[in-house]
Amino acid sequence: MDFNTQLTLFSTRFLGIFIEAVSFLLLGTLVSGLIEVFVRKEDIARFMPRRLFAAIAAGSFLGFLFPVCECGVVPVTRKLYQKGLPISVGVAFLLAAPVMNPIVFASTYAAFGFGPILIGRFVITFIMAVAVGLLFSLERSPIKLLQPRALMAMSGGSGLASPQLSAPQTPFGQGLVRAARVATDEFFDMGRYLVLGTALAAGMQTFLSQEQIRALASDPAMSVVAMAIMAFVLSICSTTDAILALSFANFGFPTGSLLTFLTFGPMVDVKATLMYLSVFKRRIVIYMVILPLLMSLLFGIFINLNVRF
Amino acid sequence: MRTRRWFQAALMLLLGLYLLETLLTGEIAYYINERFNWLAGLAGFILIALGTVNVIVLLSEPEQNKVTPHSAPNLLQDVPSAAHSMTARWYVLVILSVPLLFGIFLPAQPLGAAAINNSGVTFALNVSGAGEQAFSIAPTQRNVLDWVRAFSASNNVDEFSGLPADLVGFVYRDARFDETTEFMVTRFTVSCCVADAVAIGVIVRSEQASNFSADSWVRVQGKFEVRDFQGQRMPILIAESIEQVAMPERPYLFP
Repeated sequence: MDFNTQLTLFSTRFLGIFIEAVSFLLLGTLVSGLIEVFVRKEDIARFMPRRLFAAIAAGSFLGFLFPVCECGVVPVTRKLYQKGLPISVGVAFLLAAPVMNPIVFASTYAAFGFGPILIGRFVITFIMAVAVGLLFSLERSPIKLLQPRALMAMSGGSGLASPQLSAPQTPFGQGLVRAARVATDEFFDMGRYLVLGTALAAGMQTFLSQEQIRALASDPAMSVVAMAIMAFVLSICSTTDAILALSFANFGFPTGSLLTFLTFGPMVDVKATLMYLSVFKRRIVIYMVILPLLMSLLFGIFINLNVRF
Repeated sequence: MRTRRWFQAALMLLLGLYLLETLLTGEIAYYINERFNWLAGLAGFILIALGTVNVIVLLSEPEQNKVTPHSAPNLLQDVPSAAHSMTARWYVLVILSVPLLFGIFLPAQPLGAAAINNSGVTFALNVSGAGEQAFSIAPTQRNVLDWVRAFSASNNVDEFSGLPADLVGFVYRDARFDETTEFMVTRFTVSCCVADAVAIGVIVRSEQASNFSADSWVRVQGKFEVRDFQGQRMPILIAESIEQVAMPERPYLFP
């Protein structure tokens, strides 16, 4: 294949992923801008369950309130942190929300109907998000976990806010202008990771062969690993990955492997990982990749070996 | 810093205009499933609205940062000041310009035969409930996707024998095909965006097969017969006529 053909292929895939993802990112940054202006720290404190486990479990269901995919969830989480959301609850939200929301429920149902894949996807995601959330609750000092920028507002005024403006009596129009400016800043801050991740995903699709990965479908353990790699590389939006999983089902991938794809992919993929770096310190991001990876691999292999549908 | 903020606002406006332009020209069909078109349009409007707000704010606070004491040279760039705290650095602006540059300077082209080398073509595709749906369409009205769905939903290949078909797709061949008499009339299905594109196709046999080069768009009319292909009994379209056609406005099929 000559260079021109490859460049065109790359460009088509790059723009395709970008156009699709940038819409969700923009919606996420808009929600984040609105939270900045119209949600007060007291609101978060008031609605948070007191007990740790209850709070983390609630965090993993927060996606039903803010239906966002993995591109939109990062700016929302960061903003909620600035409003005082506990770190562990935010981690559970960040990991669970891309799956645990009405849109993904609908698309998974459309692809697989009501059955082991749909139930497994939601149950496993919940378990994984709560487990990682609980682990993060051991470290209570946000400074050790978060990037300074994500912490910015915790000590008081946030990015654009002067204390007077954040008072509830802010005129509505003025509030909207401020929300727009917060959204702008977030868009550029997260957008750079989105562009890099998109370029990586498009590059891998264009220059690597998927054939060898698919050849592994028949092995119960290796097919799970293959699905995890595919999920990471392809970086498909969680709202539609169920439909792609259906085409893998046609290549003979068993249920456990598909569940690994459908639970690990929304939590961790090339572009989401890069976007996590705008919230968490690098060391923490490594944990947030490795822990879900190991758990989803274990779940997938266990189901492939022990459960017959 | 004001230059960067102007650049930021301009970039948002241009990105928004680019999204709306691909929608209006129909080029969006090369990139995403049409059921997400409204989302791309919404994104375009959001970008233009955000860009406009930024321009208005910039115009209404002329040279403000020259008067504030906080604007001393490079003083704590990331610390919030009343006016602007996190204006993107130059390299961020450069990165965000990349999609715009790709979109403007490279010719928009849908995926073609060259994109298949990495992933192969499927003869069978399972979409729950869609098999029966495909059977309810009159044979000559079915597209490549409908046929492939019908093939995979059926457990008796012989039922396709003798059915007429009228298909549009691009020509694809690989090592399995006999260059002179065979090719595959192929389409991509796109569920979300081109990242999940799956190539599907129907095998065509014709004496004129070699007249049509890979990637060219053709309309094939003929009848199915069950024949041997690579040791497997499969429905194969025996062409009665093949004509070169222009690429359809929507090159992908949307399941």
